[in-house]
Amino acid sequence: MKIYLINDLQRLQQHLAKNYQFHQVVTNSDGQCHWQQIASETTKPVVHDPLIYEKPQSSAKAFFFTEQEKVLVFNGEFFQETIPTPKPFVLFGVQSCDLTAIHYQDKFFKDDPYYQARRQQCLLVGLDCITPCEHGFCPTVNAGPGVKDGYADIILHPLANKQWLVIEQTNKGAQALKDLVFTETHWHYLTQRDLVLHQCEKEFPDDKYITDGIQKINSDEISSEFWRKLAIQCLGCSGCTTLCPTCSCYGTRAIKQDNNHFSQQRFWDSCLYEGFQREASFNNPSAEAGTRVQRFWQHKFGDEFFTEFSRHGCVGCGRCEQTCPGVIGIHSVMKRLTEERGQKNGQEDTNA
Amino acid sequence: MSTKLINTLCPFCGVGCGINLKLDSNDQLVGVEPQKNHPISQGKLCDKGWSTAYAITSPKRLTQPLKRVNKTFYPISWQEALSTISEELQGVIEQWGSQAVGLISSARATNEDNYVAQKFARAVLKTNNIDHCARICHSPTVAGLKQSLGSGAMTNSAKDIFSSDLILVFGADPTENHSIIGGQIIQAHLQGAQLIVVDPRVTRLAKLANQHMQLKLGSNIALINAMLHVIIEESYFDKTFIKARCDGFEHLAQHVKSITPESVEKLTGVSAQLIRTVAKAYSQAKHAMIFYGMGITQYMSGTNNVISLANLALTCGHIGKAGTGVNPLRGQNNVQGACDMGCLPNVYPGYQSVDDEKAQEKFSQAWHTEVVKAPGLTSLGMSKAALSGNFRALLLFGEDPAVTDPDQNQVKSSLKNLDLLVVAELTLTETAKLADIVLPAASFAEKEGTFTNCERRVQKLNQALAPIGQAKGDWQWLQALAKEMGSEQLNWSNSEEVFNEITSLTPQYQEMNYQKLDDNYGLQWPCTNNSPNGTAILHSTSFPIGKAKLIAVNHSDIDEMPDEDFPLQLTTNRLHFHYGCGSMTRNSPLLERETPAGILFINPIDADNLNISHFSAVSVKSRRGYLETRAILTNDVPLGLVSMPYHFKEAPSNQLTNTAQDPVTKMPELKACAVIVTALAQGKIPKTIEQLQQES
Repeated sequence: MKIYLINDLQRLQQHLAKNYQFHQVVTNSDGQCHWQQIASETTKPVVHDPLIYEKPQSSAKAFFFTEQEKVLVFNGEFFQETIPTPKPFVLFGVQSCDLTAIHYQDKFFKDDPYYQARRQQCLLVGLDCITPCEHGFCPTVNAGPGVKDGYADIILHPLANKQWLVIEQTNKGAQALKDLVFTETHWHYLTQRDLVLHQCEKEFPDDKYITDGIQKINSDEISSEFWRKLAIQCLGCSGCTTLCPTCSCYGTRAIKQDNNHFSQQRFWDSCLYEGFQREASFNNPSAEAGTRVQRFWQHKFGDEFFTEFSRHGCVGCGRCEQTCPGVIGIHSVMKRLTEERGQKNGQEDTNA
Repeated sequence: MSTKLINTLCPFCGVGCGINLKLDSNDQLVGVEPQKNHPISQGKLCDKGWSTAYAITSPKRLTQPLKRVNKTFYPISWQEALSTISEELQGVIEQWGSQAVGLISSARATNEDNYVAQKFARAVLKTNNIDHCARICHSPTVAGLKQSLGSGAMTNSAKDIFSSDLILVFGADPTENHSIIGGQIIQAHLQGAQLIVVDPRVTRLAKLANQHMQLKLGSNIALINAMLHVIIEESYFDKTFIKARCDGFEHLAQHVKSITPESVEKLTGVSAQLIRTVAKAYSQAKHAMIFYGMGITQYMSGTNNVISLANLALTCGHIGKAGTGVNPLRGQNNVQGACDMGCLPNVYPGYQSVDDEKAQEKFSQAWHTEVVKAPGLTSLGMSKAALSGNFRALLLFGEDPAVTDPDQNQVKSSLKNLDLLVVAELTLTETAKLADIVLPAASFAEKEGTFTNCERRVQKLNQALAPIGQAKGDWQWLQALAKEMGSEQLNWSNSEEVFNEITSLTPQYQEMNYQKLDDNYGLQWPCTNNSPNGTAILHSTSFPIGKAKLIAVNHSDIDEMPDEDFPLQLTTNRLHFHYGCGSMTRNSPLLERETPAGILFINPIDADNLNISHFSAVSVKSRRGYLETRAILTNDVPLGLVSMPYHFKEAPSNQLTNTAQDPVTKMPELKACAVIVTALAQGKIPKTIEQLQQES
């Protein structure tokens, strides 16, 4: 594993843009951050924007698991799989929470040819966060603020004076860097990186209610009445599952065309929809909104899923808190769970 | 995966959320995300908003003009479509006069489309026969608030929810229909604001509220008058405000003197004690805000219901300040704008009366043509006149009255009776199926323009995609049609030019332009010399009519009470999954999966008595129609009341609803009629209305 010290990020960006379709998080005129493909020009190198530390509104999951895609077509005679064939692309500056989510989904979609076809073509350049972000709590769920070993092909770590540490992580990363003449540097910079990340961790607000909440979710202490009440506030919008970087539920449907042809489409689904689990007979094991809301949080924090994926299903990005119109994102729910204890001791829940 | 992001506006309800459209490398719309910094939606969307990509990328989209011959549609060129329409229109006008033609525009189209539609009607066709669906949602708001306050729009802004101490939600179901505002009401309530809900059904907000007044259908005025009685008797009213800002208090006080809470207990179904509690809470709150919806307007007493609410707010001085006001929740993304643009038979843009000689002169001069003085017909008026043969040709875009208007059977026969029906639409809706010529319309993502949300915020819509196939924006085809008819009245090269003409003639929009709208996430009208940055709160120092008017109004019974033959009361509601006639939302496989195609909410006790189980097939019959659907058993509706959403063309509630109307605005009484519900044989699948009609 090589470590480089570089003064000019542009050189790295331009180098990668030559060999890969280049994607980076940019800010639009409304101040919203989002992934954007930076088109390369043949005549002269593009001047790339500096990296942004704010997390994009939508995570990187759609690069691999797309919102809607054709999975097969039937031409009247034969079925044909439609495996995508993307060109090699680089995601430049993926933050730790979203990288952890990609790592999580890599496991979930291990045998999914559509996901893997895209994933194989991707070079992940991770970006260490050195300040906490709004609603974020990645340290609490072991997903940041620094990029975890092996979750990216290359890690970028910002230093003072606009210098950067570039840390090779995988062979793919090394290959991508091999034609560049960068100064290799000493490992003691890694110690400095650890100190900075440790300092960043300390700057996150106290979120003991989250660790307490996780314990409670796994303790059978929470009544179904609690979930029923909470779920009155679930407006069934699907915003949390859409923005959640680890949510991976999908549905499929046949789209009929003329002359007997049809294609099968898969699309992002949400386990919070009542129809998600309803059977054709109208029988539904999760007909109650409370059951569905409980299941969602159980998937994110339940011990049984921890065992399967060796981590929680939540990566601490806080996007659900920001996007939930019914005020039952992660922070609100965990605080309510903590209050639930008070209620069991006979105190009034003022919000009921 | 998307490669481009276009920031624009959500196309659904009147909240006007900021939405970003995600396009892939082939410029296909693959998904959306909310705008984090948008002043209203603040990074949130509802399920309709999240499924926008399905709504407009449907394989069912119309891509070329169609001509109907008997029951079959044949593709034709735009030129053929325009010349056919032009000839037919001119023929009708020659033979029957301009009063026999008209236009129904759309609360889903842009201000530019709507402005051009009414100008087309008034300057080219020479008729005031121009209307749109506000007739069946908030026409009583425009009429009622105009009388009481002088302006028929939301008095305050969405952000005021967070400066209010008490939120009174009256006949509205905001978490379903205006989810983002509904969510903000929940948030304000969690942060300590009192929440009081007045609704015959147990809505989501009613489940969270401090108080729920579960009144009987159509007893709004009795309830409000009794609250006023308490407020005046207990001296809870705002004497200073009334003295300085209102007329008519003495008369109102006299009027409600005998209307004690006890005297209306039976009529309203609400206990006198609860009426007293709520009257005190509302009047004594420092800042109290009223939101209301169709549970106020869709009655024969719609206009008076609105006046009643204004009486309540005025008496307590809860108006003209942050966190107060009388705030109608408007249904369509641009129903406010369609009204502002004068797509109503009685007003020009900016609510300038068509009866007013000065206004007639102003528009005649601006449009270089003599405007017509004869009053115009409302949409229901056009329907009626079509039935009797006095109205012969109708152009209509972005509306589906065959599903959404009351008494469908009558609407359909009137549309069939026309010599010419032209419908511009995204997909072949039920109304479009009746048209002689169908025009392919551009969707909101395929055009530029402005929408005005329910808090009077005029916001910029940005084009993300090229129009599909040969689809055109509404003002563009209207302009082409005007030219085909030999008129040069409509002549703009882009929507910004249309908007500039709008601001020159609409006082409330005077100081707006595209650049300013872009720079400020829109501007709230009035935006004039005196308020160049717009106005968040109306009536802070005076009313447009000087002093506000307190107007005494009486309870009146709903038109059709249950009886032996039709023992249950039917009301209508909406589901948060769907929007209007469902032509957009039902393309989403997720939203379409949420419910069977047509449902009836019924109390489990009523259901038990009728031998109906959850999801079983039932028939519903009123004096006007019959349909079959599936029952959903829920305590959200009280005994004796059943409720249906109107989104489903398979089982449209408007087969059943009553056409009895508000005398002022012709608003039909969609919220109450009498029905009989019967269980169908076990295992039977409900027949769609189409199947039923083919059988008969």
